[in-house]
Amino acid sequence: MVRGSRVVEIISKTLSEMLVCPLSEQPLRVCEKSNSLISHAIGVSFPIVDGIPCLVPRDGEIVETDSDRTAADAKTDHKTAQE
Amino acid sequence: MVARRLGSKLLPRFTPAATLHSHATSFGFKEVNEEEKSQLVGNVFTKVASNYDIMNDLMSGGLHRLWKERLVSKLSPFPGMKHLDVAGGTGDVAFRILETINSVNRRAMEGTVEDDLREETQIYVCDINPNMLNVGKKRAQERGLGDLGSLVWVEGDAEKLTFKDDSMDGYTIAFGIRNVTHIEKVLAEAYRVLKKGGRFLCLELSHVDTPVFKQLYDYYSFSVIPVLGELVAGDRDSYQYLVESVRRFPPQEVFASMIADAGFQKVEYENLVGGVVAIHSGLKI
Repeated sequence: MVRGSRVVEIISKTLSEMLVCPLSEQPLRVCEKSNSLISHAIGVSFPIVDGIPCLVPRDGEIVETDSDRTAADAKTDHKTAQE
Repeated sequence: MVARRLGSKLLPRFTPAATLHSHATSFGFKEVNEEEKSQLVGNVFTKVASNYDIMNDLMSGGLHRLWKERLVSKLSPFPGMKHLDVAGGTGDVAFRILETINSVNRRAMEGTVEDDLREETQIYVCDINPNMLNVGKKRAQERGLGDLGSLVWVEGDAEKLTFKDDSMDGYTIAFGIRNVTHIEKVLAEAYRVLKKGGRFLCLELSHVDTPVFKQLYDYYSFSVIPVLGELVAGDRDSYQYLVESVRRFPPQEVFASMIADAGFQKVEYENLVGGVVAIHSGLKI
């Protein structure tokens, strides 16, 4: 059975090399706490269910965003994604 | 083997544009709204997921295994490759690719460089239906492929893939393209994610023209398969959809021209069992 942390490891590796947001084609970030993938460019999060990332466009949920988002706001994402 | 380049003798009513529109609004022989089609197809696969592999064996007399072997051999998988199998839910094609790469025969002939490369191999299985993916994951476990890390399962939409441009060495779609709403979008996405030199392969039920065989095949499709579906899976309607959707799908030459329209070169197709299935291929150059 593939353990949770191994799944995240695989997904992280895959992310950096292969995956982008299906809507914006911009990079994704793994958020371990909310078990989801965040697309910063458009403020959408995609769930990971049973170790399978769900990246069908309609599965995305809008994450509350501030209007002037920067890389430094990544920590804010962690909190908003949990809500 | 009958492989051909594109001909210019397209049947008038089967122009790509007309075909694409009617494909997007057909669910088997029924007319539906474009927006609905995806939902209707989704329902079919949610229902059939648990019986999917048994039904494939029954309906094709086990032949689907040989067809998939042929598909994989045309792919010529190599260690370290990045491959995307779309609509590959229950994993048949992905497993075969991985097993081909890892096969003992192959290993005997290779050295340590290839061992490292083999670890780099990544097969992505993308399917829009989570039930199909879950069946696939379980089967991977049973087959001993679960922990390798080489198989990555992703829920995604073939019309809007989640992969970077120019990231894949190979792309396969087996018995999936018939079920999408917008064929041209799927082909465009396939082109986008493939690397230069990457290969597109599509295995799909297709059209039979030879006189007597066609009648037999029609009889089998419309009289036997839905009944099998009823008896084995308790679901006549899904299998009725299946046989109808095969008839509605464009014929070999028209589909080949759609693939070329997406930008692929060296587009060819090979008929198996007289056209019951066809393997279309193209290269991104």
